[in-house]
Amino acid sequence: MDFVPGGELSRRIRQGDVSAESELIRQFEPGLRVLLRRRTGGDFGLLQDLVQETLIVVIQRLRGAGIDDPQKLAAFAAQTARNLAIASLRKAERQKTDVDSDATERNADPARGLHDLTSDVEAALAVRALLRELPQPRDRLMLKRFYLEDHDKQLICQELSLSEAAFNQALSRARKRFRQILEERGFAKRDLLDADT
Amino acid sequence: MNDRIEQYLAGRMSESEARAFEDHCVAHPEFAKQVELEQRLKDGITQIARGSTEEFVRSESASRWQIAAAGAGILFSLLTVFILWNGGQPRAPQAIMAAVTSEERSGKSLRLAMVRGEDGKPALQQGRVRVEIAGLFDTSYHYTVSLDRIDHVKNIETVATVHGIRPASPVTLEVMVDSDQLTTGSYSLRVSKQTSVDEPLDFEFLRP
Repeated sequence: MDFVPGGELSRRIRQGDVSAESELIRQFEPGLRVLLRRRTGGDFGLLQDLVQETLIVVIQRLRGAGIDDPQKLAAFAAQTARNLAIASLRKAERQKTDVDSDATERNADPARGLHDLTSDVEAALAVRALLRELPQPRDRLMLKRFYLEDHDKQLICQELSLSEAAFNQALSRARKRFRQILEERGFAKRDLLDADT
Repeated sequence: MNDRIEQYLAGRMSESEARAFEDHCVAHPEFAKQVELEQRLKDGITQIARGSTEEFVRSESASRWQIAAAGAGILFSLLTVFILWNGGQPRAPQAIMAAVTSEERSGKSLRLAMVRGEDGKPALQQGRVRVEIAGLFDTSYHYTVSLDRIDHVKNIETVATVHGIRPASPVTLEVMVDSDQLTTGSYSLRVSKQTSVDEPLDFEFLRP
């Protein structure tokens, strides 16, 4: 993907160039998903909503008043996303304080179902398939230590008697297979899967 | 894997480092895609482990039917969601809602947007109103817009559907709604991208 500098994008959007708005969306959306995934606690629906809101706010700002330093357009978009995530979190916190705890207790099961519906189910299905395919029990344990427990690479190598090269190779294989599974199942709706590993 | 991605995912960066990393991601989409793939792998593992970590430590002879059953459970959930989202056969399209023609652009309009923190719903004026939906749209796709009536117990009845709407811009999609044909109450415009399994977007409003 060709990178278009923020200054040029800002100028074209201000001049009413619709293709520049599409370009901005293509350019910034992957990074905004990264930033907001970290701030939405696994709520996939909220993540998508906030990405969309951020891009709308940025485009509307560029159509109107513009930003002080167009060269820092990416940083402006990132900060907008952070602000929206904070606002969303505050709203959720306020709603929590208004909750009728008895009613929450009575409706515990539906709430659990809702949580399940808003998570990234595609990723969970792909991981399940990946775990089923991994030939070595050691590889499954390695993934658990690395991604779930955030253990340091050296520590995992020590525990599982692996060289660092073998660890990297196994991890690379698992990552590649995960990507393939997502593709095979038609989960590659976005261009996420064009990414190089 | 790039060490910086590893540190970010594991939460080992300081706040300022994480911000700089995120700014870099927003400015560099190809790099961001790599990071997102890692995030999804981590999220997927976290979700699987939320139920049990058995699958990470099982031996090769572990009972595969359990995994198949769990997979079927998730697929069933997905199917249920799909059916619910597409539930209720749309009625035959009437003139309640239609695509916008160039002559209608100067008339009454209502802007709908998903704004967090907004509690009130916008009210639709009388007569034929051009409804401008603010969202993120792909101008190379056609969209289907369904007009749903929502009663006081949240039952949904589809009163009109229009297919093949092209967005007016990457952030705007428009339809004409004849308010006089609607009864008083809450309504929602459901916007879905055709030939895509992306989630539909809902925009609520009131017909006073």
